[in-house]
Amino acid sequence: MYKGLSSPNIHTPKNLGEYASIVLHYPMSTLWGGGTFIMTRPDAYPSKTMNAEIIYLGEVEELHRFQRNDRFAEFGAMVTLDEILSTGKTVLPKALTDNIQTIGSRLITRKATIGGTIATKGFTTSFPGTLIVLDATAEVRYMKKKRLHSRWMQITRLLDRNGRISLPSNGLISRVRIAFSEKNCHYFNEIGSFMLDPENAVAAAFTATLDQDILINPRIAFTYPLHGVCYSRDIDSIFSSLRFPLDDEEVDTLESMIFTFIESSFPDITPLQRTRTSGIMRQIIDDLNEKALTVPAEER
Amino acid sequence: MKIDCTIDGKTLTLSLNSDKPLSLILRENMGDDGAVNHCNGEMCGLCTVLVDGKAMLSCMVPAFEIRGKTVTTFDSFRRTRNMKDIEKAYESVGRYPCTECYASRSLIFESLIDEGITDPGEILKELSIVRCPCMDPEDEIMIVRRGIEIRRKRNVQRPQLA
Repeated sequence: MYKGLSSPNIHTPKNLGEYASIVLHYPMSTLWGGGTFIMTRPDAYPSKTMNAEIIYLGEVEELHRFQRNDRFAEFGAMVTLDEILSTGKTVLPKALTDNIQTIGSRLITRKATIGGTIATKGFTTSFPGTLIVLDATAEVRYMKKKRLHSRWMQITRLLDRNGRISLPSNGLISRVRIAFSEKNCHYFNEIGSFMLDPENAVAAAFTATLDQDILINPRIAFTYPLHGVCYSRDIDSIFSSLRFPLDDEEVDTLESMIFTFIESSFPDITPLQRTRTSGIMRQIIDDLNEKALTVPAEER
Repeated sequence: MKIDCTIDGKTLTLSLNSDKPLSLILRENMGDDGAVNHCNGEMCGLCTVLVDGKAMLSCMVPAFEIRGKTVTTFDSFRRTRNMKDIEKAYESVGRYPCTECYASRSLIFESLIDEGITDPGEILKELSIVRCPCMDPEDEIMIVRRGIEIRRKRNVQRPQLA
């Protein structure tokens, strides 16, 4: 059926030292984590590239480690989303667990890895946005002068000008550190399927501390799979200047300010994505209004 | 690339393209035409197989990931005692999946029963991958719970020798 195909060479390093030597020999190789994104592309097989090299990271022991203390949880890049959910459901921030749960079946979360969801070529999953609002950091390993160097970076710093995650050439995310959040407002919503309908899907993640009627340290990120993550400190500072509850007029003004920014970053978002973004944003505002109007249990 | 694996109880050495999806391997190399669908990564859920006892979408598993693993398709699973438990659960609840999704649903039920998952949310989430609307969510939850009960009874009646 597929006569004349060349089979990609698979390299299976057992540790990061072996990975480094393979990358030195084959700098153009593709990194393979869980493979959930690569395998769902319509042109995944047969491979169009001749002499393709694949580095399968599933056997690198360092990338499967998971540790936590009272301040943060640290996951190796090859820890699957299912493992994250089963080990840290009670302690991890709600925005992250909600994000994992929106993916749906464990048939997918058992294969998808945290590193793979961040560093997906030409596509943005809903995870970088969530990790940005959670102020997560990632350890990036990269080759410099034929040696493997490592550097901890905030996920925000990995975003390029177009809102996509960009790593140094031959770079690899080896660990992701997520701090246990003390914020009292966590929100994540995804409308539309990122994998099946990326043209129209939108996700938004939001975290903040609502103290009386103002937001402290709010962070909001919108994700459009084919465009990237829309995150700006300007939007965050608009949120921190608000006093809740907001009336309709204030919500309209806030919405137009946010859309001005989104459309300047991503002018090509579809009308459906625009409508969905507006819907998610209004849901967040409604939640915050409700919280601001509710008397805390200890004050009753 | 040569790959050693066990498919439906047969230990095989296959010479394959290293990134060939398992669904295509089963279809083209094993001649398992009817049982495994190849949706080309559309996540239809109909290509489910058991890899080392866990349900997986075979269209998402490349050939190099099945090295040294045991793959069970519905073709061989339907002759096992575990499938008989699931059939008994279908019978006691009075609901059967349609012919289209019978194989994939049964394999996912097996994975859930094997892990002993009774939480309705988790059961429905795992089964949400099969988009066929032939079964009610309540029936799916009852089938899994009934299946776990039947499996437990069987294991109590026939304790395995150490």
